[in-house]
Amino acid sequence: MHIFKDIYDYRELLKTNVKKDIRGKYKGSFLGILWSFINPLLQVVVYWIVFPYLMRGAGGDNYLVYLITGLIPWTFFLTTVSTGTTSIKANAGIIKKVYFPREILLISQVLSGLVNFFISCIIIFIFCFAFGYGISIQILMLPVVALIQSILILGIILLLSSLNAYIQDLEYIVSFLLTMGMYATPVIYDLSLLDGAGVLGQIIRMNPLTILVTSYRDIFMYHVWPPLKPLGAVALLALVILVIGYAVFKKLEKGFAEEL
Amino acid sequence: MDSQNAIEVRNMYKQFKVDYDKAHTLKDKLLFWKTSHVEIHEVLKNINMDIKKGETVALIGTNGSGKSTLLKLMTKIIFPNKGTVETNGKLTSLLELGAGFHQDFTGRENIYFNASIFGLTRKEIDERIQDIIDFSELGEFIDHPVRTYSSGMYMRLAFSVAINVDAEILLIDEILAVGDQHFQQKCYRKLKELKESDKTIVIVTHSLDVVKDLCDRAVWIYKGELRLDGDPIYVIDEYLKQVAIDHKEEKKKAIAEGKHKFKAAVFIDAPKDFATIQKDKGTLVSQGWQISDHDQAVFKFFLDGNEICGIKRKNRQDVFEAYQEAYAGDMDPDAIGWQVNLDLNDLDLGNHKIDIQCSEPDGNILADKSIQFTLE
Repeated sequence: MHIFKDIYDYRELLKTNVKKDIRGKYKGSFLGILWSFINPLLQVVVYWIVFPYLMRGAGGDNYLVYLITGLIPWTFFLTTVSTGTTSIKANAGIIKKVYFPREILLISQVLSGLVNFFISCIIIFIFCFAFGYGISIQILMLPVVALIQSILILGIILLLSSLNAYIQDLEYIVSFLLTMGMYATPVIYDLSLLDGAGVLGQIIRMNPLTILVTSYRDIFMYHVWPPLKPLGAVALLALVILVIGYAVFKKLEKGFAEEL
Repeated sequence: MDSQNAIEVRNMYKQFKVDYDKAHTLKDKLLFWKTSHVEIHEVLKNINMDIKKGETVALIGTNGSGKSTLLKLMTKIIFPNKGTVETNGKLTSLLELGAGFHQDFTGRENIYFNASIFGLTRKEIDERIQDIIDFSELGEFIDHPVRTYSSGMYMRLAFSVAINVDAEILLIDEILAVGDQHFQQKCYRKLKELKESDKTIVIVTHSLDVVKDLCDRAVWIYKGELRLDGDPIYVIDEYLKQVAIDHKEEKKKAIAEGKHKFKAAVFIDAPKDFATIQKDKGTLVSQGWQISDHDQAVFKFFLDGNEICGIKRKNRQDVFEAYQEAYAGDMDPDAIGWQVNLDLNDLDLGNHKIDIQCSEPDGNILADKSIQFTLE
């Protein structure tokens, strides 16, 4: 397997890239890495204040915990997909100058997103304890769900980033779709609100992100095992997207240095 | 691929699309996908070559001949349109130094980033880091953020990393332009060391002395085609002959179009400016050299404003060699130097002035120089 050998040979690049992403992001700012906690917290506060007024009955038992368990996994998806899409273009400088396996850029993007996500999970735990939800054996599923999400993200950004090198409109389309995607996923509202929504409700229920986010909630809030069938379907879909994304990426990467 | 070879190039073609109005956005692509006029520029045509392990090879050619593109193809940054480029062994390119440096991190951290781009593992970098720091001569600055570096320090650090990576194949594009004289010599010594340790080195350079001194073999790329491949001295000689021919033709064309600007250079070796000369010496030998690309250029020598006749021409091989690319085909080595013997007995004591000038036949001055001397 040539791919894996390449990536293994360049593991140090992967490591330093992840480190650079995580540390470099907040370098020079006063609060440093604390921002990766503060940002989602502030966001949660905004939704927490606004949404219960806009939508009667938004959320169920505890809207605050409900919000946070949805928003943090969503933020993981949002930031990695949006930075991942532009990452080939953003790294044009080194791509034009040095040879290295280009997929490293995207893998490290996902890994640093994943590390950030796990750090942010600390916030989830703090809230879960503060509101009496505690922790349960289902936490063992957390790495599995996060892995499925990571594979899905990697497949998506392999595809999008390589296309974006050729057609630069894509990043704007993607950022629009991501904004829309948040409303197509039960991040700030409860799925039960969609009971009368017909086709739209069906689509939202089939959204892979919906399945992932509800799985996280099952793990953190409701302490039940996430339903395996839909989760397995998402895993399969993620693998299919990964294979397609990788094939497209490999096909297009030869032109990166000339197109950028 | 032959295991004896480090690099194999077979029937390789490379084209660049020169897009005049490049469609970057979706709208442009949809609207203009038929009308956009793209010109295909063939940069390299049917290149075949083998570079054996342990060889030091120079790629020579004029600007735009495609030699840098060939080097980029070897690094696998760009890919051929037809044919293959294969490499065997760990490869480092010194095409662009400092790729991937992060401004906010220290020099030491950047060594790790940069070396990891070249595919080194943590352990391998740890082993080399002291060598890299020593080679860069950055001293305590190594722990300062890279954004505080001068451009020279930046390049030194980048070069030190690249050259200490210990690759089996090194691809170098005009690197000896890094840093000051001292650092350049150090790089040069390091390259020789690498050459002796059986690394494969491919260099693109315009400095032909380096080629003669360092390389076992020179490959001359002429207008995208491989013209000659062999011993550097012969290849360089043929290359310079061709440069001279092309140069002459270009000049002829430019003259015909009335666009050519003639150029010249003059120099006075003796006496030195503001020199003090003893009158009792009798004669003062003044000499120097003059070159021009105008074949009817006139050289004149003035002492205190009066033209002096009796200029002797002399052979100046050293000047000829220095200018053989810039003035290719325009110089006669036997007529570059000039010498004038001045009779000091006719001169008054005090300050005197020497003017020399090289001009076109119609009097337009191409180059001039003047110095003063004092007679005692």
